[in-house]
Amino acid sequence: MELPVVWANYISIALFLALGVGVWSIPKSAVVPAEYENQSWRDLRLWATGLIFFQIALYAYFS
Amino acid sequence: MHPLDLAVVVAYVALITYVGIRFSQRVKTAKDFFLAGRSLAWWVIGLSIIGTNVDTNGYIGASGNAYSIGIAQANFEWIGAIPAMIIAALIFIPLYWRAGVYSIAEYLGLRYNQAVRVVAASIVVVMSVFAMGVAMWALAITLQTFIGWPIWLGILVSGTVVGLYSVAGGLGAVAITDSIQVCIMFVCGLIIVAIGISDAGGTERFISKLTAENPTHLSAYLPADHESYPWHGVILGLGLVLSPAYWIGSQAILQRTLGARTQWDAGAGMMFAALAKTFVPLLIVFPGLLALVMMAEIEYPDMALPWVIKNVLPVGVSGLMFVAIIAALQSSIDSSINSTALMITRDIRHVLIKNHNPDADLKIGRLLTLGLLLSAMSIAPYIGNLGGIFNFLQSLLSLFQGPMLALLLLGALSKRATGTGGIITLVSGVALAGILSWVIELNMLYVAFFTFCYALPTLWIISGFTQPHSAEHLKTLTYSPWSAR
Repeated sequence: MELPVVWANYISIALFLALGVGVWSIPKSAVVPAEYENQSWRDLRLWATGLIFFQIALYAYFS
Repeated sequence: MHPLDLAVVVAYVALITYVGIRFSQRVKTAKDFFLAGRSLAWWVIGLSIIGTNVDTNGYIGASGNAYSIGIAQANFEWIGAIPAMIIAALIFIPLYWRAGVYSIAEYLGLRYNQAVRVVAASIVVVMSVFAMGVAMWALAITLQTFIGWPIWLGILVSGTVVGLYSVAGGLGAVAITDSIQVCIMFVCGLIIVAIGISDAGGTERFISKLTAENPTHLSAYLPADHESYPWHGVILGLGLVLSPAYWIGSQAILQRTLGARTQWDAGAGMMFAALAKTFVPLLIVFPGLLALVMMAEIEYPDMALPWVIKNVLPVGVSGLMFVAIIAALQSSIDSSINSTALMITRDIRHVLIKNHNPDADLKIGRLLTLGLLLSAMSIAPYIGNLGGIFNFLQSLLSLFQGPMLALLLLGALSKRATGTGGIITLVSGVALAGILSWVIELNMLYVAFFTFCYALPTLWIISGFTQPHSAEHLKTLTYSPWSAR
């Protein structure tokens, strides 16, 4: 049985959510050097989260 | 071409040449030439990555594809890029940067063995020479279409401009000029969007006009029985294999991250590139949709972008757009030349010639850059006749991606993978991909997925029976953020 095309969007969204979980499983010390610890904008996990949410919005919109 | 458009083109060429040559004064060593002296800031890296990534195929081909299949073309910029770029930024780039390598092949050499290094570098080098020839030819065709230059003159002028800053300035000049070129590309893209939406009578009218005749053009995915882009293939082949193999294994892309001033700048550069990549469809997909909405009378889809430039953009801006296309091509050619010269100088010469002189790297790198440029310029006029060979080589590179991804993933994330396992998996994986591709004639997206599925357990199993490197050797070559450093 063929899945409807819209399932591709759902799968994409699920993959991005899984990626988000993976990103936050990385310890902060591996992403932000000690000298930048107090500068939260340097935490690349936050950058990644923003990108992931934007992608989820795109795949939700173009479904 | 209108004199104002011509003035824009001349000003662009003068600016790029001036910036590139000025930057060349900083080059004193091979490290300066190949890695910009490890001085690049995150925003330069990010813009340069996008400049390297968007080429003629990206510009003219993607607009044509968008004209035919709609927004589904954007998958190459979204699910076909963003997840892999995030993983590259957080895991692989910090690893490569800490290993202190000049190239991904060098990393593979340290992690596996020198045979894997030479095989990986050789395949990419052969492919790159032809790819540069194609890019140079496309550039000459663009110049012929817009300003009527004969092919030989287009190749000569564009090759000379690229050569002036690439040979003299190395990666630093390439990265800075790429950044300028990407800014021009985005400015032009946004102008096209603004003018296109305005001419169509607003966003809602644009969408209703587009979907009235083409109801699936705003669907991100195409049906499973689509000939070229079935949705399973896009997710499994492109999203899970080809894209990660490219974003964590492409030397031309990753070289600027290895030239970062800090490890954080390297990762942040890729993350910034991912942000820019999200908006690349505005540059390369939107023009195709606009041509459709404006009912462009074109003979074939790849004419969509030239039609938009000619019929939608005002004088001056069309010159800028023409510059953007040249910029897209130049930024891909210059990066390819620099990374190929690096791989020949270090990954092939250093391994195969036992008595090499490392102090000669800068001189050899510059000579190779010039030689590669001249080779590409020589091949370019004949590329139409070499189409069959080029397609074969391009297929060969695709065959390489599934096994290569398995090597990079297991090499970086596990201490189990061994050198013997690496070379056997690489060679047998490419052979399997050849059979799937040419004997069974499977879609390339599925070939990538199935060879990856073969290579991952094969490498795991063979490595269990062969001698691994010592834990001390693997300390800086594997990613283990959860263990105490």
